Amino acid sequence: CSKRRSSGRIHANIAAGAVVCVESEIRGDVTIGPRTVVHPKARIIAEAGPIIIGEGNLIEEQALIINSYPENIMPDTEGVEPKTMTIGINNVFEVGCVSQALKIGDNNVIESKADLGKNVILTSGCIVGACCQVNTCEVIPENTVIYGSNCMRRVQTERPQPQTLQLDFLMKILPNYHHMKKTVKGTSTPVRN
Amino acid sequence: MASLLQPDRVLYLVHGEKKIRSSLSTLYFCRYCSELRSLECVSHEVDSHYCPSCLENMPSAEAKLKKNRCANCFDCPCCMHTLSTRATNIPAPLPDDPSKTAMKKAYYLACGFCRWTSRDVGMADKSVASGGWQEPDNPHTQRINKLIEYYQQLAQREKLERDRKKLARRRPYMPLAFSQHTIHVVEKYGLGTRLQRQRPGAPITSLAGLSLKEGEDQKEINIEPAQALDEVEPLPEDYYTRPINLPEVTSLRQRLLQPDFQPAGASQLHPKHKHLLIKRSLRCRKCEHNLSKPEFNPTSIKFKIQLVAVSYIPEVRIMSIPNLRFQKECQVLLTLTNPVESITHVTLVGCEEGDPEDINSTAKVMVPTKELVLAGKDAAADYDELAEPQDFQDDPDVVAFRKSNKIGFFIKVVPQREEDGDVTVSFKIRHDFRNLAAPIRPSEEDDAPTEAIWLTHHVELSLGPLVA
Repeated sequence: CSKRRSSGRIHANIAAGAVVCVESEIRGDVTIGPRTVVHPKARIIAEAGPIIIGEGNLIEEQALIINSYPENIMPDTEGVEPKTMTIGINNVFEVGCVSQALKIGDNNVIESKADLGKNVILTSGCIVGACCQVNTCEVIPENTVIYGSNCMRRVQTERPQPQTLQLDFLMKILPNYHHMKKTVKGTSTPVRN
Repeated sequence: MASLLQPDRVLYLVHGEKKIRSSLSTLYFCRYCSELRSLECVSHEVDSHYCPSCLENMPSAEAKLKKNRCANCFDCPCCMHTLSTRATNIPAPLPDDPSKTAMKKAYYLACGFCRWTSRDVGMADKSVASGGWQEPDNPHTQRINKLIEYYQQLAQREKLERDRKKLARRRPYMPLAFSQHTIHVVEKYGLGTRLQRQRPGAPITSLAGLSLKEGEDQKEINIEPAQALDEVEPLPEDYYTRPINLPEVTSLRQRLLQPDFQPAGASQLHPKHKHLLIKRSLRCRKCEHNLSKPEFNPTSIKFKIQLVAVSYIPEVRIMSIPNLRFQKECQVLLTLTNPVESITHVTLVGCEEGDPEDINSTAKVMVPTKELVLAGKDAAADYDELAEPQDFQDDPDVVAFRKSNKIGFFIKVVPQREEDGDVTVSFKIRHDFRNLAAPIRPSEEDDAPTEAIWLTHHVELSLGPLVA
């Protein structure tokens, strides 16, 4: 329990306009921006620090966004600063991907079953291909596409389009079939899940 | 254990020019010669050409003209995946009224795997969905065509001379099928398509499909010899100091897939038309009968003729292996499956000392001496519940179980070598084979329709490592 108190708020702060299904698992201090869709069975776990997710993101089923402790540090060590994970706008986290990257920019696409390590920083317009594991310690330049079993890279000339059509569709359809988590109304205090 | 069913566990020996050991699933059975054949002792022929993505059939002549490429489909120059055509709406001025704009559809090519688009190389969007894409011209095309014509003529002249010499000394054997099929002219710079087999020792040329038609008039073609230049274009000054833009450099594979341009920069990689695939038919070299002939339709995976070994030869499979210990007798359970519908009698014989075929075995094996009887394969056995179980007197020491056309039997293995590596045993399996392909003589009335001949195969089993 001492863990939780040191990380700040316990409850998720879901902005109005976001569609977050009840079956998704959100643990820790997570802020979700408006127009973001979180599918059922998605998992957003803020263990070692808060997670701030921008607007217009699409987080699909079984995606795992986790702000975890670095490997060699035990959860109970003192003096470890909680690092915030920031995710920008218009990103797509496809089915089954795992993202531990601390900083993700805008308009990125992380395809199915991709695996991002803790030390990667995605800028804007990057596409991490399906099943690609990126666990290097680097900043991926803009508009990079990582694809193939050997994680080949190339630069594309245009960034991936924001999935506005898909987001609108989901925001209409998902509430018909799932219960939604309660959102924050305006600037009032956070509501319990 | 699924690993016991791996194809390389049980190998059958094929007697051909080379002794090949491979699993029964990869072998063919020529029922006219009554012998096993492997892929190396049959001749492969091209049956038909088709595009793997649009599945369009193409006659061989058209394929040769288009250099074995599909007209509609493209390959991504970056990752070699198939390109798909995507449409966007762009505002375009109406033809009658330039001030107003209407939404028009524009098409571009995009790769779903590496996200390459045709806009990356500067190809403008087309207004038609297919057929609007043009390949860049090769500046050397004219010279190459002229050279090809000249060499075709030269080769034809040489062939005529060679034929004149050969008329006196005709080859003693001329394969039967030669006379039945059309012969494409084989030349020094060409390779016939249908029936030319590679004679051992003849050089294989790579300029395929350059056959001349017979009645072409012989006009003299002269070519200018290539000129060697003394001066070479100097390298740019910053060649060594310019920093490399790594995403722009093409990989060797990307470069060599476009041999006429070989672009060094990724912004010059144009898409290529997709390569066609072929369906091939196999022919036994000794008796010239077809062993495998696929259907013509590219969407069909069936065969017109399919003489595969698994449908004629009983198959041995390993069912369970106990712990194998050095110099201790172990009992291994094998299964034998009968693929034909008639009863098959199988005898197993161990390999003798000094058997020239027995080179790999590392253990002694004792096979059951009695003849094993396999019931025929009954396709309706699963559905017919009232079928009487056939009564075979099985020795329980030898036969472990029996199930429709399959029996399980024991062999005793004594590993002889204590090294690392798999224990290998080999034995010979002798079974009767009824040749249904042989013509039925009209004089036979009440005799057995076909006589059985006895075939012997050498089988090698890989039983796995020794347990200490």
